[in-house]
Amino acid sequence: MGLRSYIITRILLTIPTLLLLLSMVFLVMRVLPGDPVALHFEKKATPEQMETMRRLLGLDKPLWTQYIDYLWGLVDFGYFLEHGYPNLGKSMQTYEEVGGQIFSAFPATLELAIYSMIIASVIGILLGVVSSKSYNSILDHLIRGFGTVTYAIPIFLLGMIFQLIFGVYLRWLPTGLRLNPAVDPPASITGLYTIDSLLEGNLFKFFESLKALLLPSLTLGIILSGMFIRMARTNMLETLRLDFVTAAKARGLKESTVTYGYALRNAFLPILTMMGLQFAILLGGAILTETTFSWPGLGRYIVDRINFRDYTAIQGAVVMFGLFVTLVSLVVDILYAYFDPRIRL
Amino acid sequence: MAERIDLAIIVLVLIGIIVSSGTMVYTTTVVGNLSTLTSDVSTLTGNVLNLTSTIGDFTTITLEAIVSLEARLAAMEAALAKVTLAKKTLVVGTTDSVEKTLDPAQAYDYFGWCILQQIAGTLVSVKPGSETGADFVPELAVSWNYSEDLDVWDFNLRQGVTFWDGTEFNATHVKYSFDRAIALIPSIPEGAPAGLGYDVIINRTEVLDTYKVRFQLNFPFSPFLGILACRASAIVNPNYAPIEEVEYTAGDPRASTPVAFVGPYFLSEWKRVAGRDIEIKLDANPFYWNATGEYPKTEHVIFRFYSDPSTLRLAVEAGDVDIAFRHISPTDVLDLEGKPNVKVWWGTGAFIQYLCFQTKRAPFNDRRVRVAVAAALDRSTVCETVFLGLSDPLYSIIPPGMLGHTEAFKKLGDANYTLTRSLLADAGYNETNKLKFDLWYESSGHYPMSAEQCLVYKEALEASGVIDVTLKSADWASYKKNRDDEIMDAYIYGWYPDYVDPDDYAFLYWASWIHTNYYNATQVALYDQARATTNTTLREELYAQIDDIAVEQCSVVPLYVSSAWAVTRPDVYGIYLDITQDMRYWLIYIGK
Repeated sequence: MGLRSYIITRILLTIPTLLLLLSMVFLVMRVLPGDPVALHFEKKATPEQMETMRRLLGLDKPLWTQYIDYLWGLVDFGYFLEHGYPNLGKSMQTYEEVGGQIFSAFPATLELAIYSMIIASVIGILLGVVSSKSYNSILDHLIRGFGTVTYAIPIFLLGMIFQLIFGVYLRWLPTGLRLNPAVDPPASITGLYTIDSLLEGNLFKFFESLKALLLPSLTLGIILSGMFIRMARTNMLETLRLDFVTAAKARGLKESTVTYGYALRNAFLPILTMMGLQFAILLGGAILTETTFSWPGLGRYIVDRINFRDYTAIQGAVVMFGLFVTLVSLVVDILYAYFDPRIRL
Repeated sequence: MAERIDLAIIVLVLIGIIVSSGTMVYTTTVVGNLSTLTSDVSTLTGNVLNLTSTIGDFTTITLEAIVSLEARLAAMEAALAKVTLAKKTLVVGTTDSVEKTLDPAQAYDYFGWCILQQIAGTLVSVKPGSETGADFVPELAVSWNYSEDLDVWDFNLRQGVTFWDGTEFNATHVKYSFDRAIALIPSIPEGAPAGLGYDVIINRTEVLDTYKVRFQLNFPFSPFLGILACRASAIVNPNYAPIEEVEYTAGDPRASTPVAFVGPYFLSEWKRVAGRDIEIKLDANPFYWNATGEYPKTEHVIFRFYSDPSTLRLAVEAGDVDIAFRHISPTDVLDLEGKPNVKVWWGTGAFIQYLCFQTKRAPFNDRRVRVAVAAALDRSTVCETVFLGLSDPLYSIIPPGMLGHTEAFKKLGDANYTLTRSLLADAGYNETNKLKFDLWYESSGHYPMSAEQCLVYKEALEASGVIDVTLKSADWASYKKNRDDEIMDAYIYGWYPDYVDPDDYAFLYWASWIHTNYYNATQVALYDQARATTNTTLREELYAQIDDIAVEQCSVVPLYVSSAWAVTRPDVYGIYLDITQDMRYWLIYIGK
């Protein structure tokens, strides 16, 4: 199978995957105890009021009609062209467009995910390689220890330690939020404040955004780095024992060239897969980090919506999340196939 | 060689982190200073230009111009003095968020009402610091009177109040606001007017003259001022509030709410991401009718939204916010109390929790069993250990401070096992045949410390030796479903008042939506009688009688009433945490 056919097949496969995912979420949400209608009434409500609300939310229709309506909305290209996001219905709690809500929260999540992944990859891969190179030395033990601690430490604990040190005691960085409310956000082009402020040419806003981003991304990055350190170390150890490494060394190549030029390249494929999947998961929102730092991203959104049994919002979020995971997996698979032609066989 | 490279990488990474952090902090400071400098230069340039223009004007100067100039200088001095006394912006941290909208016909959540209170106007309001919640003061109405049978209420309106678009406020706006609220009830069944029963209480609103309005009620209703003081009764500007349902959303402040520019502030910014607020900014309303009284005290209020109480606590401690209000946990607020960089404010609470019994089936269809369980509860331990003394045991469904509050349930005592054993023995329960039931609580944080409370209740009940409790929990959505399906034996519920009056509490003993299946015609008759009189002594007596019956029947058992607290910078003043639970931001200021 050629690379092009492989890509087309993988893309086509995402459609049934998403449909299956959507159907499952649709059904599971309706099986869960709790009525979204009742949640609109904190206090008293008459049966008539409940019935009216049920009608307003479209929950009086048969299940299959609701399902078809939902699917029909998803393929409404007119809506997509008009709004810039798919028609995922209206939130059953706030009555806002779910697509709009998700896309308003997505840039915050994306920005956090990108910076965290950069931090995690740099720390994780570098320390993993160094650790494998100094196998069984004190440095190796120290790095492994660091990896285990960061892998095990609860994210909110590390976040709160950072908040205490850098926010409360040193007062260098804000304890939470995406941007100081006294500063106007940069004009939205990409939705990523750091990029948009640079595009706007406003260094002050850039540094304000960076200040707000530093603690959450550092927290998340350090936590994720634990996993990357272990992965990089194990793969590098295996690769360094292979014959081609010995051969390269025997041919008189520099140790650094062998390690970083040859061995790391070969050990990188599994790390790449892990990075891709981890990034896709992060795009669904880092719930604990977002909660600890009051970061207005998708993680908080999904938790909020589940508590409200907001069917449409949860369906929308899961569809989008499924789409992210599928797309990122697709990219990783394509890269994999590109790097390792055996996969296409 | 490779080891050296590894070592060099580690050193470089460390140096990189240190250097980049240092550079970032330094650059931020420099950029901040540059920004201030640019602003100063710009102000200076403006001043020089003004001076040049003034010098130019000297050639044509007259005596009148000098007098005018002196007056302007005096005004500027006064303004400057005010600026030096009070900080212009108040930054408020909260974990709240507007639930849906800022339309009084729909909003029915604490924070939505809080924002509406700052930007909207009602006919009357409760006096700040009121201990009973019954001290009403004029707002958009200057005086009022009512008929002897309490079903006709007339209000004389304040003159000279204008909306932002120049429309002068008058009686037609009041009529329109209430007619609209009632007209929208069928399409907004979850809104406050529906919940409070505006359509049931109000028969019609009549314009008597330009500044006089009459409410004809369907029945005598003494707490009517309480209803008028709540945010569902905010006056809307008809130009921005069509009678049809309108989707008021975040974004353009004018499109966000139909009430803007009547209250002390106007909504200048409201941004939401994914159904939650991320930014709300209020600016002083230049058209506010009481602006001459120097209100609001602070020109701008900015809300910062935190998702977690611990983060909010850190934010106020770090000085990121001037005020942290709703919700800092009891542990955190007690910890903060002694710290020099913050000030803790305490106030009266109005949130109560109570225990409900399912009376339609065994074991709680037996009155003796309900009373026996009520007598075995230990409120004090819950208040001391779970709420760390920040709540008080409650022995009447009406909280302390409010008209009609009694200590009726004290008759049963706390952990009164003698009474419990005796009553349960009569009902056929003993050490070998224990009373067994499920005690349910809400587990998703809708109510505070529910699991911890129930553990203490379970321990106290089981200490009687004749009760065996199984604790069960459900998240809020499932909990409400269970309540409606009437599958829970005993369950903890909570209540937050809409208007501060015993009328909004006493009915909880038999409220059908709580699904205890308890109804008592005598209590209802007493309640209706209390509604129909303004005689406070009589009302007190009637509510006391309702409580007495409640103790005998124990369909619902009051547990505790919460306190209220806020944490601020030490130099924040003007906070009133009274029984209304309202935070009046226009009274708050920083500095002396």
